[in-house]
Amino acid sequence: MTAKRKDARHHVVIGSGVAGSQAAETLRSREPDARVTILTLSSLLFYNRYDLPKVFRGHRDWREFLAYPADYYRDHRIEVRRCSRVAGVDGNRRTIALEHKEEIRFDTLLVASGGRGYVPEELAEFRPLMHPFSSYTEAVVAAGVVPERGHVIMLGGDMIGLDLARTLIDTRHRVTLVAGPQTFWPHEVDDDERPALIAALEKMGVEVIEGADAGGIASIEQGARGLSARRLLFHDGTELYGDAVMPFFGLSPSVEFMLGSGVDIERGLLVNPALRTTGEGIWAAGDVCQIWSDADKRYRFFYGWKNVRAMGDLAARNIAGDDAPWVPAQDEKLHIAGDGRIQSPFWEYE
Amino acid sequence: MATDIQISIVGSAGDGTIAAGEILRNALAGMGYKVISFDIYPPEIRGFGKCIARMRITTEQAYSLKHKSDVLVSLDDSHAIPHADEVRDCGAVIYEQGSIVRLPEGGHMSAHVGPGQLPYPLPIRELSEKSTSANRSRNIVVLGFIAGLFGLPAEGFRKAIARKFRNKAAALEASEAAFQAGLDYAARTFKLDDVAFGPPVSTVVAGATVEMINGNAAIARGALDAGIDTFFGYPITPATSIMERLAAEMPRRGARLLQTEDEISAISAVIGAGFAGARAATSTSGPGLSLMAEMIGMGVIGEVPAVLFVSQRGGPSTGMPTKTEQSDLHMAVYGGHGDAPRIVIAPTNVDGCYRCAGKAFEMAEAYQTPVIVLIDLYLSNRYETVVFPARPPFEADVNRKPGKLAAGAQYKRYALTADHVSPRAIPGDKGNMHVVTGLEHNELGRPSDSAESHTAMSRKRHEKLKLALDHPDLTKFKRFGDEGAVDVGLLSWGSSFGECLEAMFKARAEGIRCAAMKVVMLSPFPTAAVAAFMADCGEVLVPELNYQGQFANLLQAHVAKPVTRLDRVSGEPMKVEEILEEIRRLAGRKAAQKAA
Repeated sequence: MTAKRKDARHHVVIGSGVAGSQAAETLRSREPDARVTILTLSSLLFYNRYDLPKVFRGHRDWREFLAYPADYYRDHRIEVRRCSRVAGVDGNRRTIALEHKEEIRFDTLLVASGGRGYVPEELAEFRPLMHPFSSYTEAVVAAGVVPERGHVIMLGGDMIGLDLARTLIDTRHRVTLVAGPQTFWPHEVDDDERPALIAALEKMGVEVIEGADAGGIASIEQGARGLSARRLLFHDGTELYGDAVMPFFGLSPSVEFMLGSGVDIERGLLVNPALRTTGEGIWAAGDVCQIWSDADKRYRFFYGWKNVRAMGDLAARNIAGDDAPWVPAQDEKLHIAGDGRIQSPFWEYE
Repeated sequence: MATDIQISIVGSAGDGTIAAGEILRNALAGMGYKVISFDIYPPEIRGFGKCIARMRITTEQAYSLKHKSDVLVSLDDSHAIPHADEVRDCGAVIYEQGSIVRLPEGGHMSAHVGPGQLPYPLPIRELSEKSTSANRSRNIVVLGFIAGLFGLPAEGFRKAIARKFRNKAAALEASEAAFQAGLDYAARTFKLDDVAFGPPVSTVVAGATVEMINGNAAIARGALDAGIDTFFGYPITPATSIMERLAAEMPRRGARLLQTEDEISAISAVIGAGFAGARAATSTSGPGLSLMAEMIGMGVIGEVPAVLFVSQRGGPSTGMPTKTEQSDLHMAVYGGHGDAPRIVIAPTNVDGCYRCAGKAFEMAEAYQTPVIVLIDLYLSNRYETVVFPARPPFEADVNRKPGKLAAGAQYKRYALTADHVSPRAIPGDKGNMHVVTGLEHNELGRPSDSAESHTAMSRKRHEKLKLALDHPDLTKFKRFGDEGAVDVGLLSWGSSFGECLEAMFKARAEGIRCAAMKVVMLSPFPTAAVAAFMADCGEVLVPELNYQGQFANLLQAHVAKPVTRLDRVSGEPMKVEEILEEIRRLAGRKAAQKAA
């Protein structure tokens, strides 16, 4: 642990993704004497999730994915508590209970725990047969089961999945998308735009099955001997074989541990434009928070690497004493580029 | 791929830390790896102090433990947390993921895993309880996890477990289940660290046997292979296991071992047995050596063969019984009254313990004097993979026997001879009746305090020992590293030499001209060889584990050249990095002198 200065504040950040890591960096620069601690479930230091498709290009060493080397955290005196699951937060006592029964006191808390891959209720029982793609280890495992020129069946088709699809096609894999309401998430796509976008996907080389046409998924099974590893059964009796079934239904905010904390929660943590929650000394940033929008007169999520990083930075600056409001940092519109390919601002990162 | 991996298991007394270390090193040695291992444990039997089982596993020969471990296993975070920063970047930290009690902030290992290290939180307690209905096999769960995570053959571990619990059926059954639970858990764990075991390399010559053995066990084996007849001793940490080993084995060979009421009785009995012609020995530590001092003098003046195995610990007085130190050198070389020269040899590794133990009997017999084999706790408890030759390399009988007496001649037990060694008759040899007492004597052994007798006998007792410097098949000193003139030379003795050698190799890798000499024979001192080495050295560094620099003092008594001392009394082995740092400093100073 970093040595504590008696009068220095202890800023705790839950989550080591883009928002949390940016916030820790900003907090360190704004308050050089403060103690900054990141709590994360991950075994690894902050790595760029957007780089994960590279595992299908043969990049499997986790060190290639880290945003910063270990010395960065030492030099910046940022404590990173990995493999640490938060069990609960007591906003009144300003304490965090970790699942392993350790209690951590904070002066300020930034919740940037992000979201986990969402899987619709009707498919939840098939989770063990799917290969999610939201962490480094999941990515490497998935890459390990798909052979060269193998066949990946994507369910849902959010923009994370479609980003991976680009790489898979590029690396001569076969990709079949079982499309549905979450296709193109988090973009909000009008019904009249959808056919063109689906056509653009097909032009990319993705084979698209519109879920409604196929009657929905009845089951996912282990492939029989001599066949591919997974068999997807549709309600209409048709079936599809692939080497892996990967769910891409968007993200669900990770907020369970905040229940009982005194913070208002809808789907995510509700924050004002300064990213302050309803709990004293508690802020939120990234995919976990819903920000009040005066324009829309509602709380809403903002996604994308640039938005999330900007939120982490803003929350940290406001924790350090500013009171600046949230301004979206990027365009949210899905485009079809001049060459007919899909172009999403959510695929852009620095 | 060469293997060089250090694993540290840290727990509390009663956690099975040392047992886990024993099984792990035996399993790895059985697979063909070279292993150096050193356990640290508290004086208390259970429930208090810190236990550490630390081992270095290699394919090439290693000489000491490393400064940084590749893997740390915590069986008790309160003890393991201070060692978290001893793990290198990209190394693994394995610890209990949960706790059954509330922890203060920072009380869990997860708070101390450095940003460069890879955390492996395991449900160790839960796996033990589920597989064995008890939490006592947590240490074995961890071994299963290690086997699985690093892809080591499980069968090797199972054999080592079976050997450990061969007489405890219930414990064996539980351990097998716990091992499997850890192994299964590893199969579900994503390996992130870069710790990798290459295939072992076997260098065993035909007929030889390889054993994982510690210094004390090697001493016992050396004594047995040299044909020890009698042993008298009184238990004392860290020497006790020498006696325990011998107690188990000597009766099977028709030899005799007796636990005496104290150390004075033990050495007295050894002198008596030596007088009677037996190969006799005792073992003790610093406090016991103090008690034996008077009778060592008796052995010297009576010219009676006797072997003392002395394992040093932190002193003075009761001191630190379970911590290592090299602070009995003065006592071993000089301790006692009068001019009482004796042979003192100090092995530097476990193989050396075996050879020195056996050779001590030869030398005691050949030069008719007490011989002290001086080790310390670090060497007593240090395990190494040792290759034992097919045939013990010790002579069975080197006693200089009296020839046939001329008619009317009287046997002279202390005859003055050209090499100062007298023919020695054993009581009962027909016609060779003689007397041995603690009194100064003439050649016949009859009491004499004349100036001539005392002068001649004093000279005899001192001069004959010089023969030991040429005793066959025993390394008295050895130089390593660069030949010829060097910027920095290390002179070292005993258990610390391994660390010196590692530091010297690292310094050479950095481009520093460097050499190291180990001095095994401390008395008589190999002055010529050491002086020649020192003459080659721009700077001489003497690292040792005592406050006074006892070896440096001994050295300076024989060679006038100044030395730099590096004295440590931490109770733990010397640190390679610390020696290396000093080498760098001295090399820098030498370079500056050259430039000037």
